[in-house]
Amino acid sequence: MAATTKIYTQDSIRRRKMLLPLMLVLLLIVVPFLQKTIDPTAEEYHKGEKSLVTAGMGLNNEFLLLPMLGFREAAAGLLWVRCDEFFHSGDYDAILPLVRLITWLDPHADNVYVTGAWHLSYNFTDSSERSDRRYIPPAMRLLDEGIQNNMNIPDIKFEKGWQLYDKVKDFNGAEDAFKLALATKPSKNSDDYPYGAPLRIWHTLAHAYEKQGRIPEALATWQKAMQRAHEMLGRNPKDYSTKQLLAAEKHNYELTLQRYQDRYQTSGHDHTNPTPYPAVLMPAAGSKTLGPWDGSFEPHVEITRPKVFKVSGRFAVADGARVDVRIEDEDYKPIDVSNARDAFNIPLDQTILVDTVSVRKTRFEREMDMSRDAKMYSFSKPYLKVILSYNPRTTSPHLQDRFGWSGEGLTDRNPNYVYYDKRPELLGTKLIEGQQGDGPKWDGKDETWRQGGRRPEGSTEEWKPGGQPPRLIKVTYRVKAEDVLNGGKVLTDKDIVPND
Amino acid sequence: MVALAIANQTVREALRRRVMWIFLIIGVFLIALGPVFGFLNPRDSQVVLKSLGLAAILLAGLFITIVTCIYLIPIEIERRTIYTVLSKPVQRYEFVLGKFLGGFATVFVNIAAMGVVFLAMLWLQTPGHHVPPDMFKGIMLTFFQMLLLAALTIFFSTFATPVVNFFLSFGIFLVGNLSSVTDSLTTSRNAIARGVGTLVHYLLPNFGNFNIQNSIIHPQIEIANANAFMMQSIAYALIYSAVLLILAILIFDRREV
Repeated sequence: MAATTKIYTQDSIRRRKMLLPLMLVLLLIVVPFLQKTIDPTAEEYHKGEKSLVTAGMGLNNEFLLLPMLGFREAAAGLLWVRCDEFFHSGDYDAILPLVRLITWLDPHADNVYVTGAWHLSYNFTDSSERSDRRYIPPAMRLLDEGIQNNMNIPDIKFEKGWQLYDKVKDFNGAEDAFKLALATKPSKNSDDYPYGAPLRIWHTLAHAYEKQGRIPEALATWQKAMQRAHEMLGRNPKDYSTKQLLAAEKHNYELTLQRYQDRYQTSGHDHTNPTPYPAVLMPAAGSKTLGPWDGSFEPHVEITRPKVFKVSGRFAVADGARVDVRIEDEDYKPIDVSNARDAFNIPLDQTILVDTVSVRKTRFEREMDMSRDAKMYSFSKPYLKVILSYNPRTTSPHLQDRFGWSGEGLTDRNPNYVYYDKRPELLGTKLIEGQQGDGPKWDGKDETWRQGGRRPEGSTEEWKPGGQPPRLIKVTYRVKAEDVLNGGKVLTDKDIVPND
Repeated sequence: MVALAIANQTVREALRRRVMWIFLIIGVFLIALGPVFGFLNPRDSQVVLKSLGLAAILLAGLFITIVTCIYLIPIEIERRTIYTVLSKPVQRYEFVLGKFLGGFATVFVNIAAMGVVFLAMLWLQTPGHHVPPDMFKGIMLTFFQMLLLAALTIFFSTFATPVVNFFLSFGIFLVGNLSSVTDSLTTSRNAIARGVGTLVHYLLPNFGNFNIQNSIIHPQIEIANANAFMMQSIAYALIYSAVLLILAILIFDRREV
């Protein structure tokens, strides 16, 4: 204690007793104002986090305490471990509510959005491993939510692009998502700095352009990728990973140009076997008729047993082609989950099956048994559509070598089977005259060329829509659900309805 | 000087308490386990390490603060040692202040110890031995969160028994962490809910202000005004702690011991 005795006068004690309440009142006035100043940034820190009242409703006691103590991320981490356990035990349904809770607790858990959406899109399948397409809108919604909460993370945007590319085959949507990923603001904390996104996203964007038949834009994108790879190598010449990517970019750029030459130009590239024709118009062996190849599509659809379809037929194309099969409610539309609170609830009364059948020696055949998965295929609507189609945009390159990127080199003797999808967002580059393309033909050189009725961003000049619509072989049948439930019905030409 | 002498004595006394050491050891153990749990998130094991480390510091810090501070004043009264102290030229406010400073210094030492272990683990586990500066912010905000909690506990200990104090402090810590709920209630359409929400949000100590772990463990998240927010949160902790200490002094001044 003090070496000398300290004397407290009555005056000093009285002064303190008056001063303290005064200070108290003053400080109590400051506190709410300070809190008001803190709130906006605190909201930014907690952006996307659902309140504990919402998130807590689905939490067990063991997990509820953690977020209440402020350990939202720790609770989210533990729940993620539970997800992993459920995944490995095959209990997929149990994962969804956990994914929902985790993203509410920790809206920056980018891998949960990515893995959760992958799980929704790919892992709910019927007994023949066909995905439940009803989960795709919820998957997209989850990714959109993740993007919204993490605008400076390219991974979730990339995942959205990839799922649209790979699963949904919506290459236009994929293009938008990849562009959004590439527009991510560079962050010094990211491995990609000074860029906002990894180099590989340029690659997938180029592929998305190619899948849309937009070749000049694909080439320009490969050019941009190569430019960036050179920049990166300039900074770090021993970056062997980027060297490999650059080699792939060069290869893909040149391959795309070569394919363009082979498919659409008369010059050809094969000096040992020169040809006067572009490959998309090459006459068949023994024929002199120049023009698209006749696929002579002959589909046969039979409901052999209740809820069992047998899809078979002939298609005069090379091995490796795949006929797309889509069986869905006549009025099928992906559910709108944009405003749904619990976006993972899917409409149980919807029926949709998507599959492909491979062509071998001009024949294809597959039985599609929908009887074993009543939860996926309810057949609760009065009519269904059975759509068989072949899309050159999604087919293998060796088939595109004859049919072109947009099917310019493919037709059918039955004109009703030839379907041009003229939606503006699907227009590819017009690469050859006379094959239903509109507007000017690309000159094979100008890689900044735009088509498809899309006005360049920021441009005010007059813009003429034009481009090449994809040419598909497509047949749509209309069938009564009653016939599907009873079985024993062969679909005939009378059941064919116009394609839409 | 008197308060500092009491604080010094309080630290020595607190460090002799085994229960505090147990919480410290558990905290350090959890932090050291961080790398083991990297497999939970193979794409970003750093996130697990940071998350677990910060959570362990907070959890251990929480219990150390409460367990240390709830006994500081009641035990002096119970053992009647307070008579010896107050019979000297020691004012009651100096006693309360000394106890608070001593309790808080103990908490500071513990959090600092756990912080050093955590940063060392991060340094060891991070490629290139780079420790993100945000981790210092996380530890610092936990430290000020505990400052506020220590003040709250000292305030309750001037009139409540340790058991009641434990539940009161812990309960208010929980409610104070629900700032996302109370903040949303302030804009509720229901007038009663709005009134209660506003009262709780602005008058009770808002421990949720210090919970920024979720954002700082994800390196890509960038917050505008992050430094200003730090300063405001620290100011909040200091001012609110001052409020609680003044209240504690006013109550203790009038209390029969």
